[in-house]
Order: sequence, then structure tokens, then C-alpha cells
Amino acid sequence: MSDNKQIVADIDHSLYDFKDIENEKDFYRMEEGLTEETVLKVSEEKNDPEWMRDFRLECLKLYNEIKMPNWGPSIEGLDMDKISSYVRHKSDMKGKWEDVPEDIKNTFEKLGIPQAERESLAGVGAQYDSELVYHNVKDEVAAQGVIYTDLESALRSEYADMIKSHFMKLVPPTDHKFAALHGAVWSGGSFVYVPKNVKVEIPLQSYFRLNAAGAGQFEHTLIIVDEGADLHFIEGCSAPKYNVANLHAGCVELYVGKNARLRYSTIENWSKNMYNLNTKRALVEENGIMEWVSGSFGSHTSYLYPMTILKGDNSKMEFTGITFAGKGQNLDTGAKVVHQGERTSSVINTKSISKDGGIGTYRSSVTIQSTAKKAKASISCDSLMLDSISRADTIPGMDIRTNDADVGHEAKIGRISDEAIFYLMSRGISEEDAKAMIVSGFANPVSKELPLEYAVEMNNLIKLEMSGNG
Amino acid sequence: MSKDLNMKVNVLPVTTYNFLHVNDGRLEIKDIELKNKAISSKKEVPSGVTLKENVSFDEAGEIFRANKDRILSLKEEMVSPNCETAKRDEAQPIRTGMGADVDALFLENGGTCDVYTVDENAKVTEPIVLRQDLEDGFTGIAGQVIHAKKGSEVTVILAYNSERSASGFLGVSTRLLAEEDATINLVKVQLLGDGYVHFDDIGGACLKGGKINLTALELGGKEVFNGAYVNLSEKESAFYSNLGYLSRDDHSLDMNYVADQRGKKTDASMQFKGVLMGTAKKTLRGTLDFKTGSSGSVGDEQEDALLLSEDVINRTMPVILCQEEDVEGRHGATIGQLGEDILFYMQTRGIDEEEAKRIMIKARLESVARLIPDEEIKQLVIYYVQQIV
Amino acid sequence: MSEQSLLQVKDLSVSIDNELPILNNINLDIKPGETHVLMGPNGAGKSTLGFSLMGNPHYCVTGGQILFDGQDITNLSADKRAKAGMFLSFQNPYEVPGISMGSFIRNAYHAQTGAPVKLLQFQKSLKAAMELLSMDESYADRDLNVGFSGGEKKKAEILQLLMMNPKFAILDETDSGLDVDAVRTVSKGIEEYQKKKDGALLIITHSTKILESLHVDYTHVLVKGSIVHTGGAALVDEINENGFERFIKED
Repeated sequence: MSDNKQIVADIDHSLYDFKDIENEKDFYRMEEGLTEETVLKVSEEKNDPEWMRDFRLECLKLYNEIKMPNWGPSIEGLDMDKISSYVRHKSDMKGKWEDVPEDIKNTFEKLGIPQAERESLAGVGAQYDSELVYHNVKDEVAAQGVIYTDLESALRSEYADMIKSHFMKLVPPTDHKFAALHGAVWSGGSFVYVPKNVKVEIPLQSYFRLNAAGAGQFEHTLIIVDEGADLHFIEGCSAPKYNVANLHAGCVELYVGKNARLRYSTIENWSKNMYNLNTKRALVEENGIMEWVSGSFGSHTSYLYPMTILKGDNSKMEFTGITFAGKGQNLDTGAKVVHQGERTSSVINTKSISKDGGIGTYRSSVTIQSTAKKAKASISCDSLMLDSISRADTIPGMDIRTNDADVGHEAKIGRISDEAIFYLMSRGISEEDAKAMIVSGFANPVSKELPLEYAVEMNNLIKLEMSGNG
Repeated sequence: MSKDLNMKVNVLPVTTYNFLHVNDGRLEIKDIELKNKAISSKKEVPSGVTLKENVSFDEAGEIFRANKDRILSLKEEMVSPNCETAKRDEAQPIRTGMGADVDALFLENGGTCDVYTVDENAKVTEPIVLRQDLEDGFTGIAGQVIHAKKGSEVTVILAYNSERSASGFLGVSTRLLAEEDATINLVKVQLLGDGYVHFDDIGGACLKGGKINLTALELGGKEVFNGAYVNLSEKESAFYSNLGYLSRDDHSLDMNYVADQRGKKTDASMQFKGVLMGTAKKTLRGTLDFKTGSSGSVGDEQEDALLLSEDVINRTMPVILCQEEDVEGRHGATIGQLGEDILFYMQTRGIDEEEAKRIMIKARLESVARLIPDEEIKQLVIYYVQQIV
Repeated sequence: MSEQSLLQVKDLSVSIDNELPILNNINLDIKPGETHVLMGPNGAGKSTLGFSLMGNPHYCVTGGQILFDGQDITNLSADKRAKAGMFLSFQNPYEVPGISMGSFIRNAYHAQTGAPVKLLQFQKSLKAAMELLSMDESYADRDLNVGFSGGEKKKAEILQLLMMNPKFAILDETDSGLDVDAVRTVSKGIEEYQKKKDGALLIITHSTKILESLHVDYTHVLVKGSIVHTGGAALVDEINENGFERFIKED
């Protein structure tokens, strides 16, 4: 068995929680707060084309105009004047692992990223604070014409026009306050282009690490899967815990072409001081398939509802998600789908677990427009309450504007039954293990959708949370 | 003196995405004169029931204020759900489905209530039927409080009827208190004309073993608002609700139902069965709220919406809030047109599609109508449905 | 008491949620290798006794004690009793979504022995036991008890009995709801357990089908929470013919 498996199996919290004492002089850190000056500085740092600089300023204006959301968890603890929007190491992005600065390399080594790349990934990108520090694609994948690079260099490449015509078109900065913020200070992230009919057999992965205290991470991921192509993209996130608030306001825009398929998997384990206000959106053309697999374990506060627009006829989406809200966490997660094309179909399957005073909210919207004849939507959300100081709330909405649609919805809230625990205990399993086992079983529909290493990691995270050490 | 009504009603217990337009409903009428403040009719009450007529809205709320500690009792410190809206209705003597703006309307316009008090342990078998046949042009508000004392049982039927072509405005407030082991059966039938604006606001509370059974049929009216908020405050209290609706042409129906479960082993069941036709617009909010201390409680909410035209708008917002481990809450919805299987089955029996639809509409609404314990009113409903389909 | 007793139940009284008394002053003495049968009409408290012996927290012991292997286990939790070598085959086994039967048995085996499980060897013996019980191999990968028929659930319980190999097993209505073939298969599994381990058994039943091919040492009759009669194997046949009437009258 590989070293990687060993590391993942032996996971403990320190794996995510270690802090690398950053040698201050090696890092460039933007002053806290958000002004036109800071935005211009970011733009300058990034050597933006002119349109991008203007776009950033436009977004800043919108950010100042748009009100905070009047729904969802409180974000009062987030003081934008105390968040640094840009932190980077004073060295450039590397294509070779050996060239990555030692301190950053250590962090990712501890997270098992390089091993994972060698063994099971077609390509890896690693972002540290605001910048990508490493990017590499396997030769055979590159030879298929697959582009996987950081967004900044892509902006200065032959793909510049493609980016300009897609960047923040799916998630316009007018969408909400934090989309506008993202547009103003975005930095880092990946660009993926899979050409027509190319099937990428093994997954691409991006790993995001926010190491600096009181900082924001605003990476932008843009993926275009052209007609008939196929891709699995994995995203992992972690950060050490600090006593000050950190902010993640990333943006993911996914374009799934005709007959194409994209699977986007996320295991999010941000530290519990993180405000995770992330926006993810996919546009699916005729016969295209979008699959989301989403595990939310970390963060102090989350707003996360990946959205799919089923534009083309016969396009499909499947969302499988699990959220584990533990002590001090307020995780508001779910999914949104808009049916536009005929015979489009969506399946939403979520599991949510609340424990130790955590607040877990499942929130969703299913919209079936009048053009979506013969559309099918099926929603199922289960919540598990592990004690009576936690909350599990289910807030799903449906807006249906055609009679020629078939919509089914099921929601359940409950707890682990005493009979179930006794049954397992009568087989010699301790009460704690019995509970962990039932919770893992509850989460199984999600973990079985993940690649093995990630499924193992997720189960370990559940065990960690169940033992109260999460 | 005429005035404008501009009310924010049926506020969802927790707000969500604004683009769904479900966070609240708006009742807006320009230039309305509320001349008939109450509906006058001779009301005879059976023995065991005392009626006090035309009590001021504020005074009628006294019984709820007096019991506020019991109605709103909470075992432990509550953690609020994200963005809850309870605060805006805090001043109501008893929280209602449509909320504080209805109270304000009654208070500002001198709206009154008839207060029905049922004696302790009185089992009133004969239903109290309050049938109102309203004229074209009626504009008024009316209220009642039904207070069932310990161990009593009472059935009240409210029926509002007018000519099909009639227009007008009718606002109704009904507030209910079921004391220990008391049962209130409230039946509401609304067959108003196609030009009517109508609201029906219900607030209720059940003490230990108390029960509220609500059967409602919203079949007429152009613009209809309907809300019910029931507090299951103490052990083994229950709220069972059956609502049937029909919305057609350019009509709209806006609903907000909440079961607030605080006591141990409470039971809530809310069933919604309806039919949308033409360009009708319907919003249904249904919330099961398991508060801390409600261990052993169960809640079930089911919607079955039959959409019979391409241009209907159907919004559904089923919410489950929960801060108690030992509860079982579930929600289910089936929304769509007539299933192909049932259509095929009927066709094999020689029934064509149009006739099959008629049969299904009738079946749905009559299954609720069957619960009406008064033959005359039941026949009125069945006849109304016949006329429409 | 003889020192080779495996399970001793002394004056055990049990109530539900501290309210209704269900069992009164139950006494049992089961030695290694013995098979005891507990019979009685519906509602006598048979399943309650099984649950109480295994430590279901829903039932409260209000008096008396339970000794297993000389150790007082009256206040031990169910997992500790299992580790000590006790097993209960449930009348209605619980469905555990998300965990395959194979991996569940492996987990339980590991929890009881504490030793690492040798995968290949484990799989071999699992396969053999499933064959004996005419269970399709595919069941090992299905979620435990989820969507199993009544018969398959019972087989899955006996499969666990064979894999765990306890010193003492309580079989609660293992034959109820089974057709003739399934009863035969399940009996075969129980015989195998008796042979292999010299295991002791307490078989709770209200019919006698399952006992036909098994050697029985003692039969106890439970009526309204008390053991009203104890006899040998012949008692089973008598009850088979005449029912419980005689004992109910005695009471």
C-alpha cells in the first residue's frame, strides 16, 4: 500500500491544524481593509490586462452598493477592515515540486499532496494563501490537449479571449455582495480546458491552503469542458485554526458542453474560524451531465449552494452532499437548480449531521421554467440530530411554472434510534463506535461517490467529529 | 373614509433566497372603505357554550395574554435558526399565520370579535354553523375567539358564500385556545365570488392534551391569503390540518402554516391537496418547528398539487426547523399533472382525458369536503365544485 | 451452585422504563454445551428476558442478578456482554444502511477479539458459513439487513452467530415467519454452532418446528413474567400437543 494511504488512514486533527510559522520577510502581505487603492494594488501585482483592472474597480463599486444578505447565518463576526485580501510568498509559481519554497513544500507534504499526484491524479494545482505555488499536468494528459494552468498565466496566453468571454459571466458580480468582492480582489485559482471529445481518465486536483491569519482567499476556478469531453475535478481545502476570522470567497464557474460530462468533487475542511462564502455555478448544454459531490466539514460559517443551470435539452445534474456541523459551526449548505431545457432532470441527495451545538441548515431551490417541458426533479434531504443542543433546519424551495413536470420531494429529520445502538452493541461494539458506525453508514451515499483516498479521509473526519475532537 | 391597505403577511418563519419570492406575501388594496366592520347575523349557540358578541379585538386577546407563560414556555435556552422572523409578531397576544399586520388592521379599524367560551368538560356534539352569504360589494372584517375549557369539545363551521360574479373584501381572524384535554374542530369553507379579496388568519394554542383539528376549503375568491400558526405548547397536544384548495383563472392563493412544537410528545400533521388551473398562482409555506424540549414529538407535512394548465405558477416552501434530538419530522411533496398510469387506467374504462381530470379534481376536493360534519354545507361545497368542473 | 455454570440468573425482576413490571424472580442455570428452551404464550415476557440478559437499556433490572462465567454482568453494557461471549439473535434485526454485512461482521469480530482480522482467512470462513446457510454470496456486499426478506434477516443473524462463535447464544424467535426450508437451513446453522463450539443455547420460541432436529436439555415455561414449570425435552412435545393451557391454569 502506498505511503499516501498510510497518511490518510492515520489522520488526526493536527494534520490540518499545524501552523507553519511563516518567515515574515518571505511573504508579501497587503494591508487590511478594502479600498480602491488596495484593489489597484492587487491588479498591479497580478499584471492584469486593462479590461480586468477596470472590471475589478467596477466590482468594488458594486460591493459597496450591494447589501448584506437578509437570510442565512450571521456574518457579523466578519470585519472586512481586518481581512487582508492578498498574501503571497515572494517567489513565483513553480512547475517542479523541487523548486517550491521549503516552508510551503513542507505544508503540502504533510497534507499528502505530492504523493497523491504521483499515484492517482492527472494533474495537481496547489494554492497557498493568495497564489498558486505549484501547477503540473501529467505529460500524457497535456498531450491530449488538456489545459490546466493558473488563471493569471492563462489570461496572457492564447486562451485570453476564451477567458474574457467566460470570466464572471455565469456568476456576475451583481449576483451578491461577495461575488462583487470576489470580482474586485480575486487572485489565484485554475483554468481548465478539455477539448472536444477528450476523456480525461483520471482526476485533476486543486488543493487550497490558507495559512495566513486574518487573510482572505479569493481564488477563481474556470473550467470549460467542450463538446463530448469528460473530466473529474477534485478540490480540497484546509487551513490551520486562528483566533481571528479568515474569509474564503472563491468562485467556481463550470461550462459543460453538449454531450460532455463534468464531475466536481469537494472535500472542504477549512478551520473553524473560516467564513466560507463560496459561489459555484455550472451551465450545462444539450445532453450534458453535471455531477457534484460535496462534503462540508470545516468552517465557522458557510454559505454554499452550488447552482446548476440546465440550459440544453436532456441535460442532467446530480448533487450528492454531506454536511457535518459540530461545535461552534453554522453551516448553511445545499444546492440550486434551474431547469430551462426540455426533458432536463435533476437529482439532489443530501445528508446533514448536527452535533455539539452545531447549526446545520439545508437550503435549496428548484426552479422549473415554463420552457422545461417534461422536466424531472427529485429532492431528498435527511438530517440526523445527535443531541438537543444542536440544530438541523431544512429550508427547501420550489418554483414550478409548467404542469408538464414531475417533482418529488422528501425531507426527514430524526436521530439514531436506541434499538440500532443496542443491536450493534450486542455484537460487541462500544456505544461510541456504534454511533460512529451508524453516522458513517448515513454518510455512505456520499462517500461512495468519492475516490477511495477521499472516502477514507471523509470517514476519518466523521470519526474525528464523533469523538468530539473535531 | 377610504384608505389603502398595504399589509405584509404570511411571513416565512425563517427567510431564504429573495429570488424565490416566498419570504412573505403582500396584501395591497387601494381605496377601500371598511364600512361593515363585522358581519351581523343571529347566532344561536348550543348549551355548554357562552357567546359574547362584538368584543374589541384587543380585549378578546386577553385570554391568550393571561396564558402567555404556558403557551410560550420553553424548557431550555433556545438557539435561533438562521434569520428567524419571530420578532415582528412578538406583540400579538397569540401569534397567527398571517402575523402582526392583521392585528394592526383590526385595531386601527375597530374590528371586533365574537368570543365563544365552552364550559369545562362540555362535549358539544352539535356543530355551531356560522354561514355568511355575502353580497356583491361587501367590504368588512370579522373576528372570533374560540376558547375551549378543560376537557371540552366543540365544532365550529365558518362558511363564506356569495354569487360567483360578486366582488368585495372579507378579512377574517380566528383565534383558538384548547385547554387541557379540550378539542376544537374548526371547519372553514370559502366559496366567495371571483372578484373577492379574502384573508383568513388563524392563531391557536393547545395546552396539555389539547387538540385543534382544522379542515379548510379555499375554493373561491380572486386573491386569497390564508395563514395558521398553532402552538403545541404542552405535552401530548396535537394539530391536525386538512386543506383543500382550487385556484383558477388569474386567481392567487398565498398560504402560511406553522406548527410550533414545544411540548413533549406533540403531534402535528398538515395535509394540503389542491388543484391549479388557468394562470393561477399559488404559494404554500408549511413549517414544522420542533423547539427544544419537544422530545417524542412527531410532525408530518404532505403536499399533493395537481397542475392542470401550462401557465400556472406553483411555489412550495416546506420548512422543518429542529432543535430536539428525539423527534421525527418529515415532509413530502408530489407536484405535477395527472399521472399517465391513472389516465391510462381510466381510458381503459372508457373515460376520456377531460373527464378523467374532472374526476380527479372532484376526488381531491371531496376527500377534504367529506370531513365537514354538516350535511348542508358539505352539499354546498360539492355543488360548487360540480359547477366549476 | 456448581462451579461450571456458564449463565446464572438469580431472582431477576425486570420492568420497562421503571414502570410496568414484566419479569418476576426469574432463575436460570445454564452450563456449557447445554440447550435450554424457553416457551410461553404471546406476551409472557420471553423476548424481554432475552433483551434483559443481553443488557438492553430500555429494560430496567429492579432486582436480582445475572452472572456469566462467574462474573456479575447485571450492570454491564451490551458490548461488554458480547465481548464476554454472549450473543443475541434478534427477532427483528435492525437495518443498518450504508454498512455492508461483510464489513459489519468483520468490524464486530474485530471489536470482540481485539486482534487484527486476517482478511483472506476471514473471507474464506464467511463464504463457508454463507454456503452452509444457503445465502447468496452477494449478500456480503449488501447493506446489513436493508431490504432483506424476513428469512434472509434470520439467516444473517445465524451467520453472525457462526462467525462470532460465542460461548452462549440466545435465539429470540429465530423460526418465526420462516417457511419449512428456511427453518431447516437455520437449524442446520444452529447444529453447526453446537458442534463446533460446544456452545450453550437459550432458544426462545412459541412453536416447536425449530427444535425438531436439535438436542434439548431443559424446557422452561414462562407465563405472565414467571417461570411456572421446568422440564426435559419431552415437555416440548407435550406443549406441542396440548398448548399452554395446563400451565396457565396452574397459574
